[in-house]
Amino acid sequence: MSKELIRLRDLCMAYDDELVLDHLNLYINDKEFLTLLGPSGCGKTTTLRIIGGFTTPGSGDVLFDGVRINDVPPYKRQINTVFQKYALFPHLNVFENIAFGLRMQRRADPADPKRKTKLPEEEIRRRVLEMLEAVSLKGFENRRTDALSGGQQQRVAIARALVNRPKVLLLDEPLGALDLKLRKDMQIELKRIQQQVGITFIYVTHDQEEALTMSDTIVVMDKGTIQQIGTPEDIYNEPKNAFVADFIGESNIIDGVMLRDQLVQMYGRQFPCLDGGFAENEPVDVVIRPEDIDIVPVEQGQLTGVVTNVTFKGMQYDIIVDFRGFKWLIQTTDHSPVGARIGIKIDPDGIHVMKKSRYSGMYGDYSSFSDEYDELDAVEPEEGGDET
Amino acid sequence: MKRQRRTASRVLMALVFLFLYAPIFLLIIFSFNRGNSNTVWTGFSLDWYRSLFQNRLIMRSVYTTLLVSLLATAIATVAGTFAAIGFYSLRRRSRTVLNTVNSIPMMNADIVTGVAMCLFFVAFFTFWGDFSVWFNGVQHVVVLPGRLTLGFGTLLIAHVTFNIPYVILSVGPKLRQMDKNLVDAAQDLGCTWMQAFWKVILPEIKPGIASGALTAFTMSVDDFIISYFTAGSSSSTLAMTIYGMTKKRVTPEINAVSTLLFITVLFLLVIVNLREARAERSGAERRPVSRKLTQLLDTPRGRVFRRGAAVVLAASFLAAVVLLTGATNAQPMVNVCSWGEYIDEDLITQFEEETGIVVNYQTAESNEALYSLLKSGAGDYDVVVPSDYMISQLIEEDMLSELDYGQIPNYALISQRFKGLTYDPQERYTVPYAWGTVGIIYNTSMIAEPITSWSALFDSKYAGNVLMFRNSRDAMATALSYLGYSLNTTVETELREAFQLLKDAKNRGVYQSFVMDEIFQKLEGGNAAIGVYYAGDYLTMQENNEDLAFVIPEEGSNWFMDAMCVLKDAPHYDEAMAWINFIASTEANLANMDYIWYASPNQEALEQYPAYYEELYGEPLDPETYDIIAAPPEILERCEAYLVLPPETRKLYTDLWTELGI
Repeated sequence: MSKELIRLRDLCMAYDDELVLDHLNLYINDKEFLTLLGPSGCGKTTTLRIIGGFTTPGSGDVLFDGVRINDVPPYKRQINTVFQKYALFPHLNVFENIAFGLRMQRRADPADPKRKTKLPEEEIRRRVLEMLEAVSLKGFENRRTDALSGGQQQRVAIARALVNRPKVLLLDEPLGALDLKLRKDMQIELKRIQQQVGITFIYVTHDQEEALTMSDTIVVMDKGTIQQIGTPEDIYNEPKNAFVADFIGESNIIDGVMLRDQLVQMYGRQFPCLDGGFAENEPVDVVIRPEDIDIVPVEQGQLTGVVTNVTFKGMQYDIIVDFRGFKWLIQTTDHSPVGARIGIKIDPDGIHVMKKSRYSGMYGDYSSFSDEYDELDAVEPEEGGDET
Repeated sequence: MKRQRRTASRVLMALVFLFLYAPIFLLIIFSFNRGNSNTVWTGFSLDWYRSLFQNRLIMRSVYTTLLVSLLATAIATVAGTFAAIGFYSLRRRSRTVLNTVNSIPMMNADIVTGVAMCLFFVAFFTFWGDFSVWFNGVQHVVVLPGRLTLGFGTLLIAHVTFNIPYVILSVGPKLRQMDKNLVDAAQDLGCTWMQAFWKVILPEIKPGIASGALTAFTMSVDDFIISYFTAGSSSSTLAMTIYGMTKKRVTPEINAVSTLLFITVLFLLVIVNLREARAERSGAERRPVSRKLTQLLDTPRGRVFRRGAAVVLAASFLAAVVLLTGATNAQPMVNVCSWGEYIDEDLITQFEEETGIVVNYQTAESNEALYSLLKSGAGDYDVVVPSDYMISQLIEEDMLSELDYGQIPNYALISQRFKGLTYDPQERYTVPYAWGTVGIIYNTSMIAEPITSWSALFDSKYAGNVLMFRNSRDAMATALSYLGYSLNTTVETELREAFQLLKDAKNRGVYQSFVMDEIFQKLEGGNAAIGVYYAGDYLTMQENNEDLAFVIPEEGSNWFMDAMCVLKDAPHYDEAMAWINFIASTEANLANMDYIWYASPNQEALEQYPAYYEELYGEPLDPETYDIIAAPPEILERCEAYLVLPPETRKLYTDLWTELGI
């Protein structure tokens, strides 16, 4: 893309002897929309807070434009943040909230360069009003912030950060408090704003869909380490391990053996695939996305199984099929009744082969699948790392 | 059924409010009473408010109270706010521990806190004394005061200490309600931590700080017990002064000052409530905090200044404390401890104007209370005015300093018959202050026949109408006197006989109650017919109820002498001599005699008082009144002064008194 702006080198961080970041290395390019994605406790918020300057890493370096900024306090960094639940100042109105950063700014006095001076009031006013217009909140400047809707507060928070013309905007689960519809609108809005102002966005979320929608680059994290870095397409289509495969979208992850390039064996049967570069007969994890599976009559199937659960999802059915005790999720437009024996067929490009990792065997079985379970998973508690 | 219950709950509510507010309304009403009674309404007047503002003891303690409360509130508010922020930024477990630690002082009994602080200060002063000797020895640049005493400084420290938990308690929840990202957000937008505090935290927790400060202020103004133990002899808060005054009686002046206090607090509360209501209603945009200050503090020089300021602030606070506690030495002053309503306060002003010596005038409740104050080390006075038998005890225990009579020429004016009395036979320690007698006071509209004997106090025919002393020495004295024994007897059988007399009378229901200064209300209001008390106080009562009569029983009675003494190691010895000499003068004795209605030991004053009275009030002094103030020698002959009793007799007194069970 373009030039490198931020580099995190060998960051380690521990709270109470619990490693939150484990030798993390990452670089972030200028004007990039980068998302730190992972479950709660994975270290994504801690990483963000280290970049923002709110947390000092236990060890390692933070470089900004090639300069080490570990010890630079937040107010001296060319970075602004949109916080979880916005953190708008309740005692100030919309205008003053947005003007806050500008009022704190000092720059060399044109008359006497040795002296620092405040920004002129008219400049502050102009920039705040511009910003309000940019986030479609024209006319709201005298409102109290608690009289705004969640989406409007969100826009104020973004305007408050962007009005300072930072080089980097940090966003810490900014859409978490919004309802689904609004969240979808704001995703598009955020992407639009990022393209408009042309600066780096670093976005933290546990919502994989959000990450896929907006990001140029996704960094998938778990247990303080980076699992995979890549474009949304890379991450989705070529997950590096079972964790990533499971976390991004739905995946059936099956034990397999790579017989040779482009041929993998599961359930004792051979499946042609597109992957290669493994040792002969290397044990592997095989990812099959639910939408890549075709249901066919039993006699034509590469595998056969019994339907144990059917859920209507609008555009498709989610079917749970038992293949010799291992349960798969299949998404299909055809209805198959519970108890029916079906055959399946998988095209070679629907099969993704991964090396074994420490996550092998932990994910990809839908035995415990239920809608309820799914929802529970979606409502995640706040990340525990920033409790201090 | 339902309606009934509602009526019942309304009645209950009305009763609750009645009990809460009726006493206060009564107090307010009687603060406007013309007479000085709290039971008999004699017309509307603002006299008590006028005399309140002229009462230097009260005004000085109001000043002390306001000063200590405001300072303590300010310091505690700042310290408590920062402490609350500190607590808030801790982990949950340490926070819980600290919150508990914080709330213990609030739950702790004030008396324990007070005593503990008193002990701590006294211990620290001892240490400081040694330290300053050493320090002044090794260098000569700074001379540290060697002797620190309880005073305004310690009072202030104590108030700050007990106020801080209240501030923390009311700021803490506001911090927890605050979005924890606000501070990060402010720093993110260019604030240093300090700026974030001013611009974001402070506006958020301001209501908590305000209510914390208000609570602290109220607690400070309100506090009696802790102040009592930490103020020492040189400072007295309003609560302490009021308490000292009530030892004598609840004067309408106290009603007046209490009324003002009540109205002030009410006013403050109304303001706070109105403000809160308005803030809630309009939710108006509040103005951002002073930008000027923040700006000033953010220049490079400002940062240095800020860091320096913290050090200077801490240092100056320490210095102020040392100075305030040590200042007592630098300034010419004298600490006097006497009894409530026992001086014409104009004399204090006059003395201060004439000599430039500041007088710290305190009062104690009784000889026994004074004694324990002196023993504990908390009563750091120069001049005390104990009664005869207590003087003996103090001399015995080597607690008094010999007087330099060369500095007290007015001692010559003291009547010969009051010199060299048993408590100070060689005239080394004392200059008499005032004297008086004990007698029976009775209401002639309720008792037809004249009373002449102590028998009236033990007679069933007056059952339920007699008021007896609530202290063992005076109560036993009435019985001993009636039985014809010495008031200072140590013979156990005699004492037991006297006790039996009292006990029988009590069992027969002769006594309505055992009282001290409550006797004023009861006799003035006609609630009891017969009582026993001091002659000077009878005259005060008689002003409010002319039916009262006084008699020194034919069997004889107690007469007492209070004399000025100087404590061993008094820090202001020469000033104490000046004060004693001033009080011993004829003018001072005349003024005092007129004010307190106890007799002067000054021969000239005794002789001149009737003329002085006539000149002052334009009418001759009733000779009978004069005889009551200053019992004539033939009556005095029948009376006996108390002597200090041997320890085993003192113990018997205590045991018998306990057995009487009141």
